[in-house]
Amino acid sequence: MTGWGTRMIAVLTYLASKVFRLATLLIAVCALSFWLMHVSPIDPVQAYVGADMMLVSPEQRAEIAERWGLDKPPGERFLLWTVSLAQGDLGTSMIHRQPVSTVIVERFAASLALMGTAWTLSGVFGFALGVIAARFRGTLTDRAIKWYCLTLASTPAFWLGLLLLMVFAVWLGLLPMGLASPVGVLAEDVTWLDRLRHLVLPALTLSIIGVAPIALHTRQKLIDVLASDYALFARARGESETGIIIRHGLRNVALPALTLQFASFSELFGGAVLAEQVFSYPGIGQATVQAGLHGDVPLLLGAVIFSTLFVFAGNLIADLLYRVVDPRTQAEAPA
Amino acid sequence: MPGNPRSSVSAVIAVLGLVLAVLASGCARADSPSAPTASDERPRDEIVVSLSGEPEEGFDPVTGWGRYGSPLFQSTLLAHNDDLEIVNDLATGYKVSDDGLTWTVTIRDDVRFHDGEPLTAHDVAFTFNTAKESGSVVDLGVMESARAIDDTTVVFMLSEPRSTFVVQLISLGIVPRHAYGPEYARSPLGSGPYRFVEWNQGQQLIVEAYEDYHGGAAEIKRVTFVFMGEDATLAAARAGELDVAAVPASFAGQDIAGMRLVAVPSVDNRGIMFPALPDNGKTTSEGAPIGNNVTYDLAIRRAINLAVDREVLVEGVLEGFGSPAFSVSDGLPWSSPDVVFDDGDPAAAEALLDEAKWIEGADGVREKDGLSARFNLIYPADDLTRQSLALAVADQVRQIGIEMIPVGKSWDEIRMAMHSNAVLFGWGSHDPTEMYNLHHGALAGREWWNPGFYRNPVVDAYMDQALAAIDEEEALELWRKAQWDGVTGISGSADAPWCWLVNLDHCFFVADGLDIGPSRIQPHGHGWPITANITDWRWE
Repeated sequence: MTGWGTRMIAVLTYLASKVFRLATLLIAVCALSFWLMHVSPIDPVQAYVGADMMLVSPEQRAEIAERWGLDKPPGERFLLWTVSLAQGDLGTSMIHRQPVSTVIVERFAASLALMGTAWTLSGVFGFALGVIAARFRGTLTDRAIKWYCLTLASTPAFWLGLLLLMVFAVWLGLLPMGLASPVGVLAEDVTWLDRLRHLVLPALTLSIIGVAPIALHTRQKLIDVLASDYALFARARGESETGIIIRHGLRNVALPALTLQFASFSELFGGAVLAEQVFSYPGIGQATVQAGLHGDVPLLLGAVIFSTLFVFAGNLIADLLYRVVDPRTQAEAPA
Repeated sequence: MPGNPRSSVSAVIAVLGLVLAVLASGCARADSPSAPTASDERPRDEIVVSLSGEPEEGFDPVTGWGRYGSPLFQSTLLAHNDDLEIVNDLATGYKVSDDGLTWTVTIRDDVRFHDGEPLTAHDVAFTFNTAKESGSVVDLGVMESARAIDDTTVVFMLSEPRSTFVVQLISLGIVPRHAYGPEYARSPLGSGPYRFVEWNQGQQLIVEAYEDYHGGAAEIKRVTFVFMGEDATLAAARAGELDVAAVPASFAGQDIAGMRLVAVPSVDNRGIMFPALPDNGKTTSEGAPIGNNVTYDLAIRRAINLAVDREVLVEGVLEGFGSPAFSVSDGLPWSSPDVVFDDGDPAAAEALLDEAKWIEGADGVREKDGLSARFNLIYPADDLTRQSLALAVADQVRQIGIEMIPVGKSWDEIRMAMHSNAVLFGWGSHDPTEMYNLHHGALAGREWWNPGFYRNPVVDAYMDQALAAIDEEEALELWRKAQWDGVTGISGSADAPWCWLVNLDHCFFVADGLDIGPSRIQPHGHGWPITANITDWRWE
């Protein structure tokens, strides 16, 4: 048996265990969401009929329920949904009257730019701020960064969004009010720059808040590194503090920072829900909120599956990066 | 923590300011060459309108688009004019058979869809038959079938006489048989005043005037409807990006440069429903208790109606953006003028209670045969306006020795409690069916209809006759009689099953110089109905 063969088996075992975990996770999350929607006080037919409830007869309500398949017992509905899911069909959204997959793909495309920008910005700035704070630990700079991060960590995203909206869109008139493209312009005429303008405020909101945890974790970790024996040894050899950080610090801090950055996918998703509400940005977050408020079970379950995959992918990437970035984990057998 | 906290705070502010400044300058550089958005730089025949209520399911009348009338892209057979009288749109006339079961509508032969195809009776029949099968909010349960006799005549067969079927003729937009399919809702095509151009869901809808519109082409050639939240709408209005902005009444006090406030009256009403049965320990099949011994007493219900000062509620709770309400349908053609009475009269209310032997007890609350005039007034806990109304009304009736205890509950709880407690509801529709469903004895306790189990055989008879009437005028007269026929009725000074409080105004900010014509009374719900007369909008 060669080393290559052993490695193959190890990789396959690793993959199998990940797939198994994802499958069980998805089943559990879907069943739980379905059950929660079932016991929630929201009656989808009522939510749909809304203010017209005086004009829609019980017979018509029954027809609406039948059209949506709500006349069947919940267990059977979940089973039917699972069977069609296995065939790759996510079902049809009740409120959009469109296939769930179409809605999600459309909405996610809009969210992707928003979340991607925010994620990159908060990663870069957070890491930089954390390193600077650790380098000048105890000084005014460090305290200022720490205060800044703690203030932001306790700032509600929607409030910050409104604040930015007031300052940049209303007072200064520099940026648009919301939406993802200019008002009154056909989609084919919308330029790249237009899209960028509309992305700035929501992305800024999302990234300013995302900076805080990355910066604080990086700072703490780097301070630990700088207090370690090998840092002390380097210092004794006469290396400068900045030199120590560049040669010894960054390498050791990069791993936790990367982990945190990829593990923050879930917070990113949650933050996007709020930012999209404030800026009327038509992304996946807004679609999920609508689905929840209207009891649109197919769309909500679709969004749940999607967000689960999204967050899982984040964690998986963090896991894999560990192996790539850190030579020590490669030497050990995969778990 | 070491250090002077004040210097740390200022440091934070300095850093925050610096970060924002850097980001802002970066943005400004990147953006300066792009298109201007302020309203004065838009062409004069274009407007931008922000409305709440983007229809997620699209613009298909068959599944409910435009059910408040005037569906924008499509035409309807009949329409309301600004006084809510029924006038012809596509129709040239309609006739109801003597048994009330056959409605024959003749239509114009010169109307074309936006793609140039003629609109015929076959399209009308197709629309109604498709809507009946759609399993949507469009309720055509009473219609058996629709059939085109020739190109300009369509016949509707009903299963029973129903004068309110006319509402369907007013609200259901006609779709083209030749261009109707699964994608229709996302690219609607009709014969209405505006042509569909583009819908970017969650953001905006762009439409252009249809030059060959049979009602005369609109002056505003291009309208962009944007769909934003309330805060974003207000901010956009301030930034000069909007020409018409629908805002909640709580924002109406704001001052926006270059815009004026237009408060449109509505039948979007709020009122208190009283259980009209005594509590005999009975419950519904779901187990909800029925009846309330205090509100069962007619004197109590009438006294509350008399004592409440509706003007004070309008000024105090709605900040002037509303009007006193005396029925579920104030100002609509079927509303009786006799429902209005002099309210805010605690002396008359107390006299009524004295006469009915409700005597003031030790705690200031009246009593009768050991029963205190005390009951819950339930309102949906998430609705601030209703909460304020409940508190204000409770305060007013306290003066006459009746204690209403305001309690906030979820809709789920209200559903179980509404047969035995007073509840603050809100209704208001351009369809008299609503009055029928709220007051008819046979519908007591069905869904949300007539939750108080009110029953008056005389009222029931009037409403049944109104529903079965063949002539529209005759139907209107019967609806009015159900409210007050000189002896009895559902009015607040007669049976008083409800105490109507206020009608809300719907508030819009409109750009100076944009004339949106006379606004008709709006139904419950906010937004699209304002576009009913959009063909008359113009820049001055």
